Amino acid sequence: MTGLANSKGLETAEKYYTQYGARATELKKEGRKVIGYMSALAPVEILTAAGVVPVRLKGFVDEAITKGDAYMESIICPFVRNAFDAAIKGRFSFMDGMVLPHQCDSIDRTNDVWSSYLNLPYWHFLNVPHVTDDPSIEFMKEILRVFIGTLEKFLGTKITDAAIAQAIKAHNENRRLMRGLYDLRKSNPPLISGVEMMKVLVAAMSIPVDESSALIRGITEDVKKRTAPADGNRKRIMIIGDQIDHTAIPESIENTGAWLVADDLSIGGKIYWPEVDETADPLQGIAERYLRKLKIPTTFVGDGNTYEENLEARFGHLKQRIAEFKVDGAILFIYKYCDPYGFEVPAMKSYIESGGTPVLYLEDEYSTSTLARVKTRIEAFLEMIA
Amino acid sequence: MGDIRYYAGVDIGSTMTKVVIVSDRIETALIGPTGPEHRKLANKVMEDALSQANLKFEELSYVVATGYGRINVPFADRQITEITCHAKGLHSILPTVKTIIDIGGQDSKGIRIKDGKVINFVMNDKCAAGTGRFLEVVADSLGVALEKLGEVSLHASRATPISSTCTVFAEHEVVNQLANGEPVANLVAGVHESIATRVYSLVRKLQIEKDIAVTGGGAKNIGLVKALGAKFGSPVLVPPEPLITGALGAALLGKEKCEKAILDGYSPTRSKEGLREAKLFL
Amino acid sequence: MAEEKKGRAVATQTAARIPKFVRGNLSATLKAKEEEKKVAKAFIADGQDEIMRAMDIVPAWGESFSGVCAAKRDAEKYLQKAESDNFSRSLCTYATCHIGFEMIREEQGGAMPEGAPWGGMGRPDMILGNGQLLCDPRFKWPQALQHYLKDVPVFITNMYYPPWDPNTDHHEQEKFYVKYCTEELRETVKFCEKVTGKKMDWDRLAAVVELSDKTWDLFVDTYDLRKAIPTPMDTGDAMNTMVPLTFNLGTQEAYDFYVELNSELKQKIAGGIGVADPEKYRLIWAAGLPSWFALNDFQYFNSKGAVFPVEVTYRGCEKIERLDLPKTNDPLEHIAWRWVRYWTHWYDAARKRHGSTPKVERIIEYIEDYKCDGAVFHSAFSCRSWHAGIINQADVLRKVYKDIPILIMEGDIVDISSYNEADTHNRIDAFIETLEAYKGKQKK
Repeated sequence: MTGLANSKGLETAEKYYTQYGARATELKKEGRKVIGYMSALAPVEILTAAGVVPVRLKGFVDEAITKGDAYMESIICPFVRNAFDAAIKGRFSFMDGMVLPHQCDSIDRTNDVWSSYLNLPYWHFLNVPHVTDDPSIEFMKEILRVFIGTLEKFLGTKITDAAIAQAIKAHNENRRLMRGLYDLRKSNPPLISGVEMMKVLVAAMSIPVDESSALIRGITEDVKKRTAPADGNRKRIMIIGDQIDHTAIPESIENTGAWLVADDLSIGGKIYWPEVDETADPLQGIAERYLRKLKIPTTFVGDGNTYEENLEARFGHLKQRIAEFKVDGAILFIYKYCDPYGFEVPAMKSYIESGGTPVLYLEDEYSTSTLARVKTRIEAFLEMIA
Repeated sequence: MGDIRYYAGVDIGSTMTKVVIVSDRIETALIGPTGPEHRKLANKVMEDALSQANLKFEELSYVVATGYGRINVPFADRQITEITCHAKGLHSILPTVKTIIDIGGQDSKGIRIKDGKVINFVMNDKCAAGTGRFLEVVADSLGVALEKLGEVSLHASRATPISSTCTVFAEHEVVNQLANGEPVANLVAGVHESIATRVYSLVRKLQIEKDIAVTGGGAKNIGLVKALGAKFGSPVLVPPEPLITGALGAALLGKEKCEKAILDGYSPTRSKEGLREAKLFL
Repeated sequence: MAEEKKGRAVATQTAARIPKFVRGNLSATLKAKEEEKKVAKAFIADGQDEIMRAMDIVPAWGESFSGVCAAKRDAEKYLQKAESDNFSRSLCTYATCHIGFEMIREEQGGAMPEGAPWGGMGRPDMILGNGQLLCDPRFKWPQALQHYLKDVPVFITNMYYPPWDPNTDHHEQEKFYVKYCTEELRETVKFCEKVTGKKMDWDRLAAVVELSDKTWDLFVDTYDLRKAIPTPMDTGDAMNTMVPLTFNLGTQEAYDFYVELNSELKQKIAGGIGVADPEKYRLIWAAGLPSWFALNDFQYFNSKGAVFPVEVTYRGCEKIERLDLPKTNDPLEHIAWRWVRYWTHWYDAARKRHGSTPKVERIIEYIEDYKCDGAVFHSAFSCRSWHAGIINQADVLRKVYKDIPILIMEGDIVDISSYNEADTHNRIDAFIETLEAYKGKQKK
């Protein structure tokens, strides 16, 4: 953003964004164990309580898949294939182990491929259910206990309830701080751009929670000091999707004269809004957050009395965010071969449009090779709603 | 030169570059092939258009570039997508049209317009099914000139069903059918039907409203236009020169912008890049 | 477009009865209303068959409907209808074909879409799904369908089994998995009771479950007859004969069907009648749903002397005694144990062979038992649940077992637009040549 104050914090975020995992590599040298994970469903509280460095895997959108294709079919989620390709090429060589939560078929059906070809000292598939009734909460607690047991065995330490409770507090605090930073996007124009925000989100998922909180605090202070430039009438865009973890899409939006002001992505809005309740048994709160509070399409929500009630339960938070961030248009960015998101498109699109917000639905690969086409659609959408 | 202002639209498509210059009327329209080096050719086609209209580059008040090569036009003042430009251009020629089908060399799209403005649009994904590329491939394997496909298909006794939509597979299928003695005309008709089907299921995502028009290279193929009409259940209008609607729209949008700016009391900013300077980029 | 091809001629007389079964299932959904029965849009291999049968709920099998459309090469119009509302063509085509059909029906105020195959399928009174470890469309399809059938209630259960992990003893986890499955099945019963307004007759359920167990055993015994050389029946037929087990489990008709098939196979064996004459190569259909529009490809294999005495696909059962199920008086718990053990009973074998997986163990066992020379996989582009991970299965099979000839075919279950017959036949020809060379080497 021209004319805006520089920020030490944003420089750090930029560094962790461009050199992904740099901090984990440092901490590993200091003797810490690093556990990688995929998706919004990995219970980071437990990893933090275990004293390991949790790092969420990302893809590298401008790199062609060169090795992963030998192990994974092209009908698998393009993001999963890209992240696996990066892993097999050694981009996450700092990892001592991984936890792979059961999010979707593309994860579940490739568990064997990940575990056997990465051959890490620690591996765990966390069998998160797709439904949210009471038996499912009890089941979730059981699988969390199994997960904790395997971690304890690997690390040779006990993960106490007190440590988990402590970690819950730290992550909740982290989520509040991040939401505080999101708040600075509510002004017109926003004080922090969508491109900057993307770098912060990506940096935050690669460092321990306390460091992440300190980073977000610093950035928030710096950004608050910025004075927004007088800037014409730019449209305010929200992006919805699973793991978009690169600046290519935010850049496409913001280089075309719009602001990306909000998101419902699995590395952003989806994970920073819901907190863990501090329950007597800390696993109860964790189970409830990951099953009942996270709004992701792989968790079936449907116990309303009417279809409309179900829609509110599934997508109500989107309308809320659209109102809070004064969103003019929403971009629904879905990866090809994604059944969980793909089957939601008609319902989600018409739900958002019913509130008067235009929606652009894009289905694409996880690759900048198709970016020109994506850009044309985004530009045409912005011209359309101008 | 007097008070007349001139505006140019440049549409760089995957196979053709189009330039239209307008004032209060269409001054000139020119079409040339897009080479691997768009910038050089954009320059060339623009120069030809200017000389045809007896104008100098400096006399243009505003230049808008569109099409997939739009960002590679250094002398343009602004880039606008082909979606918005097609809608604008077509509306100026055929104002009753509400749904536009554009079949270009590498992509096909559907645009819904209301009062000349885009209200919704769709584009094909990167697959070549339902695009001009598909026609090129088939024309090649059947040994028929691309521009003759339409005419050839009119002699078909039936449209041979082609089940593959994948261009590579469809080519195999066509070649196999040819080997089995299926007449060329029937195969071409089959290919037209296959493209029309693909385009229909794409455009159907919009609430299709009549009138329907088709633009782009595909509109020059009478057989394809007929197949589209049958699929859409309504005759499909074709503008007199279906290739230039994007460039025309670009020129008109430039004109609109400038006139609004002048009305608002400031003069429109021109790009610093002159036509000549563009050559520095080559 | 919809060029109807003649269905594959089946080798056994019994398999020829299958279209009647499929038609019967479809027409049951249409007659349900006058018989005052409720119709449930349900999934095959979802663990809920017996609950439905015991409560007189008529299952409307979406996969069957879409498979029939595909076999008649008449699915495109439904796929396109779904696509028109932004369902991507890369999504499960069983689902998009059926959703497209329901969309058209709703638009017509409930009137059956013209030309619906075999009279079409009845409108459901409820939708059942299962967020199991098998496929995402099993909970997304119901949800997406409800967008068009807004008044139809949806219930999604969740039946998991312990995931395969060579470093973890799954036996410790089985208990809480079974407990969870049982509770989820109980939730299914509650939902069905609410929609039907009738209470579950638990004795009747127990009897249905017993009949299912018997059917499982009979099915495996019958299929084991295919070990004979030459094999009296191959996968081309099995893609038909799976219907009673898969769509009609828990009914007497299903059981009786396999009695008949069993005796026909015995007769064929006694007469030395094989699927191919001469039988040159024995293959395993190691994974993947078939291209329903191209079942003739099995005949193409047969014409080259290649037969499939065994397949993993649709062999959705196991000898009950092999599963070593704990005794219980609760039929739901019995279903749960049977469900969990069906998946986990390969785990111990896989753990013993370093680098192996349960799926590959199963393939190896069949290769040995049925004396196969090669393996064929089919990768359907729209279905991740069965087809993601096939490359790995083939790799592991080669690594831990032996370097047998393997063919991975590409296509789809319903969507013909990515299929190319000439190309497929070319690949099969090349594979047959590999087999020939392989068998030659084996002899030396």
